[in-house]
Amino acid sequence: MKNRYWITLGLLTLISLILEFTMLVDYDEHWWNLVPAFYIIWGFTSCVLIIYVSEWLSKLFLFKDESYYD
Amino acid sequence: MTELLFFPAVVVIAGAFILPLLNQRLRPAAFMLFTLAALVIIWMLPETHSLQVSFTGYDLIPVQTDSLSKIFGTIFALIAVIGGIYAYHNKELGQQTSALVYGGSAIGVAFAGDFFTLIVFWELMAVSSTYLVWARRTETAHRSGMRYLLVHAFGGVILMSGVLMHLNETGSLLITAIPESFSLSSMLILLGIGINAAIPPLHAWLTDAYPNATITGAVFMCAFTTKAAVYVLLRIFPGWEILIWLGVIMALYGVIYAILANDIRVILAYSIISQIGYMVTAAGIGTEMALNGAAVHAFSHILYKSLLFMAAGAVIYSTGKSKLTELGGLAGRMKAVLFLYLIGALSISGFPFFNGFISKSVIIDAAGTSHYETAALLLILTSAGTFLYTGLKLPYFTWFDKQKSEITVRPLPKNMLVAMGAAAFFCTIFGIFPSLLYRHLPYPIEYDPYSVYHLVEVTQLMIFTFLAFWMFRKKLLPKSKIALDTDWFYRKPAPFFRKAFVSYTDNFFGRAENMVNSSVQMVTGKFVNPTEWLNPFSKTAPDARTYTPTLNVLMAFVLLAFVVLGIFTVL
Repeated sequence: MKNRYWITLGLLTLISLILEFTMLVDYDEHWWNLVPAFYIIWGFTSCVLIIYVSEWLSKLFLFKDESYYD
Repeated sequence: MTELLFFPAVVVIAGAFILPLLNQRLRPAAFMLFTLAALVIIWMLPETHSLQVSFTGYDLIPVQTDSLSKIFGTIFALIAVIGGIYAYHNKELGQQTSALVYGGSAIGVAFAGDFFTLIVFWELMAVSSTYLVWARRTETAHRSGMRYLLVHAFGGVILMSGVLMHLNETGSLLITAIPESFSLSSMLILLGIGINAAIPPLHAWLTDAYPNATITGAVFMCAFTTKAAVYVLLRIFPGWEILIWLGVIMALYGVIYAILANDIRVILAYSIISQIGYMVTAAGIGTEMALNGAAVHAFSHILYKSLLFMAAGAVIYSTGKSKLTELGGLAGRMKAVLFLYLIGALSISGFPFFNGFISKSVIIDAAGTSHYETAALLLILTSAGTFLYTGLKLPYFTWFDKQKSEITVRPLPKNMLVAMGAAAFFCTIFGIFPSLLYRHLPYPIEYDPYSVYHLVEVTQLMIFTFLAFWMFRKKLLPKSKIALDTDWFYRKPAPFFRKAFVSYTDNFFGRAENMVNSSVQMVTGKFVNPTEWLNPFSKTAPDARTYTPTLNVLMAFVLLAFVVLGIFTVL
């Protein structure tokens, strides 16, 4: 992927963090609002969790050959 | 009763009867005319209105209008119009008429005020949509369509049983919210609707049939059946807590299977289950905000999901391939389809300025504010997963990455692109101007999706989902495998049951029939001339010409006696 895309993503993350630590400092609707940059952690963890759990399940018993029901 | 003739569902279904009488060239335009007419009639219906009729002693309400039914009716009719544009090049009468009956029935469900009307349209939906699978005309599609029909017939019987018990208990057929109580009647109704809503483990018919449907048929299928079931859930089971957790399980279940799938339409089919999970959760929460969220998300979902199915259909139409293991490197040759697909993908992933953003967040917020914070967190996790498979995995391995097989891209009919453009337009317009949709919701809503908090949440979530995808993309390489699902329970034992209840039974009756036939043949053979074996003392064959007149008279009397006896028996 081209560098300018990475830079854009980095800038967007930075802007979101600035907004979080300025405008949303007092926002405490949910318990996880106390965790700084929670959605960064949750987004990354969710994705990794989904990839690994699905891979594990596929190896455990889910994956079969395409001709399985023929 | 004349009012019934202009009822939107009747207009669309009547179209299915008129279409065969028209010239083949006029039919696609007539298809759109009927669906457009329904859309206009729905808009013209008063905000609250009901039409009561009495049928075999029961009060029925075949048409009941309120904002909830209008929003579902509108989106069903709108997607029937867009589907009509997408299928404009398709000249097959069977598919056109089935799609009309299917769409009309979905609209019928949205306006049904009683269970009798509901079941009639419910069954019509099942039967008409089956043809959209069979019309693919492959052995796999034939078998898949049969399973689809059987599951829905089973679901219909369960729903019917529940409704009859409900009628017995309450004496009324009118559709009203049932308070949360696990009585047999309500459980049967929930089960019957749960099958159509594709709540696991009752969902496998969807991921089995939709990917096997015709390219144009799948667009109608992805819009109607499950959303009509969501509508009924919102009507009958709002606030049933069990639905919250069933919905969350659905959302996660769909994500896991979509990640594993190889066929692009299987990925999108599992994605439907995941997205319906949000709506089922909202039905379970049952607050005004949650019910608004379910309605607005169903509206958004139908638009972006049909756009995604149209784009997947375009890939299959152009390349003849549907598996990620066979696709890749198409970006330069299918720019328009890729662009339109990405609008659908960004919408379903909940990106700002697209309609998923303004609908999904209402449900997640409703879960959070109703103190179902675990459910809210898991739905956010599902959002990340949705972006992972629809926004990243599917487009990456279909249009980017390296080409995995020899692919020739044939040009698309213009109408397919126009339909996708129309769906993309609506996905964007409602994303940018949410109030266009919010003002038609069942309850007043004061919700601003473009709050700083929400924008920060989505930005962080999506960027880091992308980062994780980029780092682990090798792990997501598609494989030529299928993932076992709950259809295993009826597909695997099917050959045994077919033998036990069809082949063996058929053989048994066949043999019995042969035995009866041969014994009848033997007896009639013997009785052609019984004197041959009745008189063992003579070896010469008797000849009637040599009988005495007395014997002739005697035999005539015996015959007469039989005739008289026969007449008396008949009388």
